[in-house]
Amino acid sequence: MIRINRLFVLGVLLGILLTWVNPCVSEVFVQCPGDLNGDAIPDPYLPGGAPNPEYRANVKCMHLAAGDGYITMADGTPMYIFSFADLTGVPPDQAIEKGMLAATFPAPTIVADEGDEFYLTLTNVGMMVRPDLFDPHTVHWHGFPNAASIFDGVPDASVAINMGSSFTYYYKVVEPGTFMYHCHVEATEHMQMGMLGNLYVRPAQNKLPDGTNLNGFTHHTGYHYVYNDGDGSTYYDVEYPIQIGSFDPEFHIANETVQPLPFAYMKDKYPMLNGRGYPDTINPDPLPPPPANINRGVHSQNITSLIEANHGQKILLRISNLNVTRFYTLGTVGIAMKVVGKDSRLLKGQNGEKLYYDTFSVTLGGGESTDVILDTSQVSPGTYFLYTTNLNYLNNNNEEFGGMMTEIVVK
Amino acid sequence: MNRFLLKCFSLTLFFLIWVLLLPPRDASAVIDGISGNTFNLVAKEGHISTPDGGSVLLWGYAIGNGRVQYPGPTMIINEGDTITVTLRNELMQPVSILFPGQEDVQADGGIEGLITREALPTDDPGTPQDESTVTYTFTATHPGTYMYHSATFPELQVEMGLVGAIIVRPAGFNPNAPRAYNHPGTSYDREYLFLLTEMDPRIHETVEKFGVDALQGTDYLSNYFPNYWFINGRCAPDTMAQAFAPWLPTQPYNCLPRMHPGEKLLMRVIGGGRDLHPYHHHGNNSYIIARNGRMLESSPGMGPNLGMSVFTIKTIPGETVDAIFEWTGKDLGWDIYGTGPGFEHDCVDGNNDGFDDNTHEYCADHGKPLPVILPENQVLSFGDFYSGSPYLGKKGVLPPGAGTLNVYGGFFYMWHSHNEREMTNYDIFPGGMMTMLIIEAPGVPIP
Repeated sequence: MIRINRLFVLGVLLGILLTWVNPCVSEVFVQCPGDLNGDAIPDPYLPGGAPNPEYRANVKCMHLAAGDGYITMADGTPMYIFSFADLTGVPPDQAIEKGMLAATFPAPTIVADEGDEFYLTLTNVGMMVRPDLFDPHTVHWHGFPNAASIFDGVPDASVAINMGSSFTYYYKVVEPGTFMYHCHVEATEHMQMGMLGNLYVRPAQNKLPDGTNLNGFTHHTGYHYVYNDGDGSTYYDVEYPIQIGSFDPEFHIANETVQPLPFAYMKDKYPMLNGRGYPDTINPDPLPPPPANINRGVHSQNITSLIEANHGQKILLRISNLNVTRFYTLGTVGIAMKVVGKDSRLLKGQNGEKLYYDTFSVTLGGGESTDVILDTSQVSPGTYFLYTTNLNYLNNNNEEFGGMMTEIVVK
Repeated sequence: MNRFLLKCFSLTLFFLIWVLLLPPRDASAVIDGISGNTFNLVAKEGHISTPDGGSVLLWGYAIGNGRVQYPGPTMIINEGDTITVTLRNELMQPVSILFPGQEDVQADGGIEGLITREALPTDDPGTPQDESTVTYTFTATHPGTYMYHSATFPELQVEMGLVGAIIVRPAGFNPNAPRAYNHPGTSYDREYLFLLTEMDPRIHETVEKFGVDALQGTDYLSNYFPNYWFINGRCAPDTMAQAFAPWLPTQPYNCLPRMHPGEKLLMRVIGGGRDLHPYHHHGNNSYIIARNGRMLESSPGMGPNLGMSVFTIKTIPGETVDAIFEWTGKDLGWDIYGTGPGFEHDCVDGNNDGFDDNTHEYCADHGKPLPVILPENQVLSFGDFYSGSPYLGKKGVLPPGAGTLNVYGGFFYMWHSHNEREMTNYDIFPGGMMTMLIIEAPGVPIP
């Protein structure tokens, strides 16, 4: 309870400070063509019912808050984090209040379609538990092709948004694949603290007319592919983003308690998939909010890693690694992974040769991604495991058996 | 982050300007090193500097009687040439050179070692003259990127700095139309070396203060815990300072790739230490054309048809990767040279490749305004590499002191280890295995 009181006091102080520092220019400013009320959702119709002339069907918008919050580790320990919260749909005048202490881990998943114009507004809501920090934040779309530095989110090479204000990134989405995103400000600190999320783009091939012949493969409406493969070879039925991550609890505690940060002795002890250690990974629902109302009751861990499919279906795993300390290997037992993509590109040679291969393990360092397809028609119904073969990372800090593992349930 | 450290970082970065003002060099010799058929190396002791103010004991290779350096001199040689490397040992323990990837290496002189012949310490009075020198001879049979390092007590000596790069030019190499391998699919406009290494300062301190034998009482070699990470022997931000900077006498090589839109940049990446490093290059994917000096081709003559496109190069100890990086700004959806008054320019696509014939601007985006309004300066934090303008080759109004390191209004992209713990210098962020790529506007001179 002492902690809660402190939080409220600091929050009020920060609020006063923000009002006092820059009453004129600090504001939430959502830029989204066709959006009439600033909630980052384009409106096809004007209030009277007439079509909105500003509306374009391929414009997609999102509003993210950058700030801090709490999650619960699989052994029950609350963990202080920096991350993003989804403010899409929230009116601008409520955005700061809703975004404060509301960070989720992983950050809200960004899904776009090839051909989209994506407007991403980032509002820096400040770090409530660390009012001594005046850190700006950015979004780095990791792997964006031909990126311009102004929208690349590297603070050294461009700009970063300060507390109380908004910056809108513009991305013309031309490349399908599995990317990732994170804050790039003081990258080692902000990324260890959790400003990491899944990001992927679905290919234009999904939208072909029904009955299109793809080199002998007949496309039907509703079919999904990982890439524009030209032959249906990356068809899948269900998809799951799987983001590898890991936290060093000492670093997070030092940050929460305003201590010098241990960069040199950083050692990750909570290995995770999509922000949870086993067995929380297989909870299909958002995890309950952290205890004692520590983050105002926000559901901060919303992405399950439970992989489910009916027998015969093809499962796409969009695997990315955004930890800051080491390489991890993910393995399966009893069900092969066909690697069809790497770092947001179809695995093919210069002359179009498909370089897909079957494997039971993939190894990724930070900032690598891969797309693998699991064909359940080749195995019996049952439960299979996706886990790190770095076996000393199958734990949740001091709690044995857990960590970087989840289940693949074939029904 | 600590404001003082940030200040120190910025001040150090200020020396970047030195690089940008360097006189032009031979276009094909962007990678600094020594060329020829005969090399005289001397293993010596010295120190390197780290940006946190540290001084780390170094055992390295020197060019003849020159100063010891980290990494060892980059040897740039030609396919088919017979190479002779003579190693003299001025350290206090035996030393040698291993040439991974080179075939049929002959060693003469010195004494028999476990892996190759080793040179005994010159300064040891008991060493006969001919045992303090070893001569290695090999014929460079394949073009590509390679490394060399000590084969004597390598878990210590490579750590101490006895490592370097070898670049083998393909037969018939034309500096005006360079290729990495004997295939047009490996042609490039500029090349840069990325020799990635790391050091565990505990090992160096122990050797310096108590001698090599004192390591016996520690687990430092087996329980390795590096805290300095290097590109071409320097930690960021020194990576971006000029090559042969007088204040870094034992770390002659820098790493500051620069290119124009539409050019091809050859990345020669070497895993020179003992850890893997995910080397992430912002800006665009690169296309891997070769590993360990062998083109990724399905059969001879095919070219790098089995390569792959990546945004993070998985750098593996002892492995080299050659990759071609390109950046055009294609399909951003707005004109990267700006629109409206003050930004007038044409886009002339005479050869119908979609790009301006001279500036390489993507013509389909010509004249399209920036789709968003940028916030006012009061609510932004500015990077030292930001020009003040989102447009290439342009500069904008910045608060005093901001953007001082962007001379020509280029686009800067961080190229770094994406295991971000490796972006620190012994507990101090930022630093480590990091540098910047600069996309310079057309017409900006690049050495």
